[in-house]
Parts: sequence; C-alpha cells; structure tokens
Amino acid sequence: MKLQSSDDKMVVWARIRRDFPVLSELYEGKNLIYFDSACMSLKPVQVWEAMEYYYRHLGACGGAGRSTHSLGLETSQLTEEARMKITRFINARSHNEIVWTRNATEALNIIAATLPIKKDENIVTTSLEHHSGMLPFFKKCQEVGCELRIVDAHPNGTFNSADFEEKIDDKTKIVSFVHASNLTGTVAPLEDVVKISHEHGAWVVSDEAQFAPHNKLDVKKLDVDFSALSIHKACGPTGIGALYGKYELLEQLDMFLVGGDVIEDVIYENGKITPKYLPPPHKFEAGLQNYGGMLGAGAAVDYLQKIGMENIHNREQSFSKRLLEGILELEKFEVLGPLDYKQRAALVSFRPKSDVMNHNDVTEYFNDMIPNHKILMRSGNMCVHPFQYQIGLNPGKGEGVTRASLYIYNTMDEVEIFLTELENFSKALD
Amino acid sequence: MGKFKERNIKCVIAILKEKNPATTKEIMAMRDLFPDLCAGCSSGGDVILAGKQLVEEGIVERKWTSEGFAWKLLEASE
Repeated sequence: MKLQSSDDKMVVWARIRRDFPVLSELYEGKNLIYFDSACMSLKPVQVWEAMEYYYRHLGACGGAGRSTHSLGLETSQLTEEARMKITRFINARSHNEIVWTRNATEALNIIAATLPIKKDENIVTTSLEHHSGMLPFFKKCQEVGCELRIVDAHPNGTFNSADFEEKIDDKTKIVSFVHASNLTGTVAPLEDVVKISHEHGAWVVSDEAQFAPHNKLDVKKLDVDFSALSIHKACGPTGIGALYGKYELLEQLDMFLVGGDVIEDVIYENGKITPKYLPPPHKFEAGLQNYGGMLGAGAAVDYLQKIGMENIHNREQSFSKRLLEGILELEKFEVLGPLDYKQRAALVSFRPKSDVMNHNDVTEYFNDMIPNHKILMRSGNMCVHPFQYQIGLNPGKGEGVTRASLYIYNTMDEVEIFLTELENFSKALD
Repeated sequence: MGKFKERNIKCVIAILKEKNPATTKEIMAMRDLFPDLCAGCSSGGDVILAGKQLVEEGIVERKWTSEGFAWKLLEASE
C-alpha cells in the first residue's frame, strides 16, 4: 500500500475508510463524523477478523507453557507473533521487552508500583500529564516518602529542555512524561529529556498513548527506558495495551501481580513456600490473558504499518493545520496548546471565549443539534486537571473544553463540515 | 442500572426540583448542593449522561437556548 502520488493517496485513503463500516452507517438517521479518536479509535475489519479467528477457531489457553494441546499451541504461537509485531512497531530490541497490559494506564502503574526507589530519591513528572502518567508516581512517592517534582508546562502546553534540567538531578530515579498530550496535542522533546535524564542516571518512561498511534515511535533511537502503549487508540481492541522496557531494567523491577503464569516453580519444603519467578516479560503477565485482544493488537499495528506511519503523520498534519486555522479564524474560541500545527498532534481542544454556556453543551450541540450529521467529540478535562488549574481553568467548578481528535479514517470534507457547523454554532455565542 | 448512574439521576432530579428549568451551566454549578448524589468526574459527563437518560424516559425535557441546553423536569414527574 505504498503511496506514490496524490491520485493514489485519494484512492488509498478512501479504501482505508471503507475498513471502518460504522462510518458509512446512519445513526438516528444522520451521518457520523467521528472526532473522538484520542479517546478511542475505531477498529478496522482486519482487527475484528483477527479476534474472531481466536474466538471462533481457538478459544484456548495460551502463555507460558500452560496448555500444550493443538489449540493451546496455536494460541501461544499467534500471541507471541503478535508480541513480535508490537516489537517491530516500536523498534524494540527484543520481543522480551514487550509486556502485555490492559492499557497504557496499567503499564504506567506497573512501572510506578514495581520501581525500586529510596526515600531520599525523587521522581520528575509534568503538569501536562494525563492522570495516568502522574498519579501512579504520586502514589508511589506517598508510599515511599520520596519527592515528586513537577515540571510546569508553558501556558501553551510546550516544554523546552531547560525546564527539565532544573528539576532532574542525581537523586532522580525516573522521569515520567507524556510524549504527545491528549489535551493540547503538544509533542514533547523526548529525545532531549532522555539525554538529560541519562546524564543524571535517571530512567525515563514515556506515555505513548497519543503519540504511537499517529507517528513512528522508535524506542531504540530515542533510547527511552520504558514506554506505555495504548492499543485501543491505535485501531486495536479495548482491554489491551503494552509496556515496553529495556530488558535489563525490566529485570530490576519488582513483581506486580503474582499468581499463575508468572512462575517457574513454587517450592514447598518444611512448611515454607519459595516461589521462583519467570524472567520478563512473563513475570508481569499474571493469570490468563486477553489472547483475542493480543491477536487484535497485532492486526492493528500491522494495519497501521501497511499504511505507513509517515503517511499517517503527514495526513494528520494537514487536518491539524486546517482545523486550527478554521477555529482561530472565527475568533470566538480559545484553543489550548500551541498555535503552530507542526508542534502538535491531530487534536484541538477549544472552548468558547464567552462564558455563556458549559463546555458539555458544545459537545452535545454537535452530537444532536446539527442537520444531517452527528459530529462526535469529547468534552471535559481529558484527565489532565493539573494543567487546566495551572492555566486558570477550574475543573472543580465544571470548567473544561471540547476536543476534536482525528485519525486515519477522517477526511478533509469532514473537517470542512465541522468548521461550517462551528461557524453556525458560534453565532449563538454573540 | 448501576448505583453510580442511579445517584446521578437523583442528582439531576434534585437540582431541577430546586431550579426548573435550569441550563447545563446552572446544573453544573448546583452539583455542590448535593455532594452525595452528584458523583463522578468534575467535568460533569456523568451528570449529562444521567440527564439524557431522563430525557429518553420522558421525565425531563431538553431544549436548545441561547445559553446552551435548558433542562426541564416535566410536571408529572415533580
């Protein structure tokens, strides 16, 4: 599916869109425009088929040598193949560096919970984190007594390297930060932060929930120590994510959940039990797993790679450019994040400058009140309350934003329909 | 219906019994009056979902106004 010319591009993107049948269905008699991919991407037919194969033809146990019969063997083979696909997707060194999780949140919780840290050490994070990138480390510091240091994002949601240099020192154990923000769309200077952190001997965990589905993530090149991946935002099924970690660092982490599938043996002698745990990645994968989800995850990253991550990025940049321009031209809305589309992902969080209505009304208007279409967006605080408090919004008083987030199946026509309807809507704000 | 959603439905009804009709903005501001009922994230999505369910059930009416949506508890339900 190599993209050669603008003509090819049109054909290919139209074909991609057809892989998402919900977009050609009417809902309550209206066409759907799905602008909520930062929350949950739609799933292409290829992903359902991979999952259906498991449920229809296998349905058995997989994993660390549990069931050796034919169905168990094929399940194990296919799920390990899916792990390899994730490995290639992010250019990890080995499939043993990929841990299956329920989602990116669980991946971040695994790191925080199992991190060996002393009371006199510190953890650095930022005010722009999704709660999932901040709270696990906040909780860890509460438990251990270590210090949590917060790098304030600039008011437009950007960072520069100096912001991190001020907070990271030789007592920093880990730096947790979001590669692409789900609120401002800001893409952070990950490579610089990794370099600064490593100079102080600190590890770095990147929250890739919003970056990896839209851009080429190369963990080897970035030299990042851990990354949390969300598959459900990358055309994959719900309930499956992945944690990347350098193998030697995964080995240093403590156990997370314990039980079946994480042990080599549990010795019982003289009334005492002695568990011998498996090495990574299996040491973090306790109990029966989401095998259908793993197959779906493999199919999802295959699907994205066939399109090409650079093609995806370029297409989304064109959406981002037009979306930003169009919203700003109306002069009725405040946009969170940088106003240069090149500095951000394909999402725009905005709110009326006028305080006449609640942000939920904006989203509900586009869901219910426009003719012929339902434009589906998310409203609220996107689980990034600290940054909104920092810039003067008050989530506690119900202040928030509406977020339009786009993906591979969207079209420029949809962007134009949205902008036309936003202009109509803005008249209500006079 | 789970208890979580049930509480937010009671929250919307309790607010509309105080002020009927009320805009979304007013409802969000009045959640503080019923902290035991109005549960969920401060962004208010849970309350909106509960309100929409009440609309579907014919208990509440929702109309678009110049100040956003106005929610009205219908007389028979009061």
